Amino acid sequence: MASVCGTLEVAVWRSASGRVAAWVDRCPHRGMRLSHGFVRGEMLSCIYHGWRFDGAGRCRKIPAHPDLDPPETIRTQSLACLDAQGVIWIASEAPAVAPPDLGNVVPLRSLTFEAGIDAVAAMTGEVPDRSLLRLDAHGPVPPLVLLLQALGPGRSAVHALAAPTGTGALVAASRALEDFRRRTEAQGIAA
Amino acid sequence: MTLPAAAIDEWYPVAMAPDRPLRPDQETTLLGERVRVLLDGQEPRVEANDGRNLPVIVRHGHVWTSLGAPKHDLFAIPEGEQPGRRLVECGAIRVRCSPLRAVENFLDIAHFPFVHTDILGSEPHTEVNRYEVRIREEVDEVWATKVTFYQPQAAKSAQGGITTEYMYRVPHPTCSVLYKTCPPRPGEWDIITLFVQPLEEDLCQVWPWMALFDDQTPQADLIQFQQMIFLQDRSILENQIPRLLPLDPGMEMPTRADLTSVAYRRWLKKRGYHYGAQLVAA
Ligand code: FES
Ligand SMILES: [Fe+2]
Repeated sequence: MASVCGTLEVAVWRSASGRVAAWVDRCPHRGMRLSHGFVRGEMLSCIYHGWRFDGAGRCRKIPAHPDLDPPETIRTQSLACLDAQGVIWIASEAPAVAPPDLGNVVPLRSLTFEAGIDAVAAMTGEVPDRSLLRLDAHGPVPPLVLLLQALGPGRSAVHALAAPTGTGALVAASRALEDFRRRTEAQGIAA
Repeated sequence: MTLPAAAIDEWYPVAMAPDRPLRPDQETTLLGERVRVLLDGQEPRVEANDGRNLPVIVRHGHVWTSLGAPKHDLFAIPEGEQPGRRLVECGAIRVRCSPLRAVENFLDIAHFPFVHTDILGSEPHTEVNRYEVRIREEVDEVWATKVTFYQPQAAKSAQGGITTEYMYRVPHPTCSVLYKTCPPRPGEWDIITLFVQPLEEDLCQVWPWMALFDDQTPQADLIQFQQMIFLQDRSILENQIPRLLPLDPGMEMPTRADLTSVAYRRWLKKRGYHYGAQLVAA
């Protein structure tokens, strides 16, 4: 799938066995977006000419030349990528620190907000520029952890996780999240 | 932006020829400038934004014009005049990409199994055999010959899979002519062309045109077949990064199958044709 890391457009994918990788969203051959490609087992295949790349980003097959062993220099541009606590984390350079500990939570859902991350953070009452926020429990809704990803000046992705609980409460949490989005976007329009 | 002479003093298609059922567009864009295509009786006339009359050629089913003063004639396609050919204009398809990327994609066969799956190619028949490419200095054109490829349905008139032979010719920075074996008439070539109208550096309109030996298939089916192929190409062309065609080596990695594209880029660079191109690796 297509994602972004700061200003970089990124392709994130998961292999059949579950390995995740994140690359700059551009095939080294003719620049096609790799996020349009398809997963074949442990490889990602570019949609344009079918070049196949392994999890480390190295080209392993060029269908136009089936007998050729592609030179090692043909590779995608990789980002640091980690699959932890039900979340895929990416960074343009491998950070020295591990992702924050989210506590006892399970992934709920990801939503796109038509609002910048500062505006989203402000709505929760927490200090802006924090990318990890908490929404407090209300009635049947369990406490939520929100991870904010900037998609552009006025857009963000909000990845929500919730304390493990029954299906009913998770449905309520999902509704609460949508409601939070409505309020956040309305705030942006009012401002 | 001031345009280089290489781009200004060149002919470009802006409308279908007026004897065709579709009328020419009233207004269109060429190299970022608005132009109007009008009809004086049966004679097309093209007017620049400032009211200036631009030079006009009606050829290959289309109206061609130039913002400058080309010192050369528009290229000819002699084979297209053979008796018995069906001439098919397909209309225009607008693509958010560099005009040069559109031509390069047209010259590429390695994508057939992946983009035109089960029509122009299919796995596992993905191999691109050796072919010959050269720049014919005497006519200043790029030619690729002896190109062969296995195709499940090479043309509307083809029944089942065949190995098709192709020749590609680039007589113009934004136009290419493809000669391809003709299933109903062995020994002759079907002609399929791609005429690209550069609207902006990263926006173009392609006018496919065909001259075929096929008196069976209804016109509408031929047009629909070509449009379907081109819409598949568009899904690629609008998703290549960068939008402009990198002319300097280093940013993109060709293989032997890409020899035509390599020659095309080199030829553009030699001619100083940079409209729609990116020169320094970003
Ligand atoms: S652009 Fe990816 S395989 Fe050609
Ligand atoms: Fe194509």
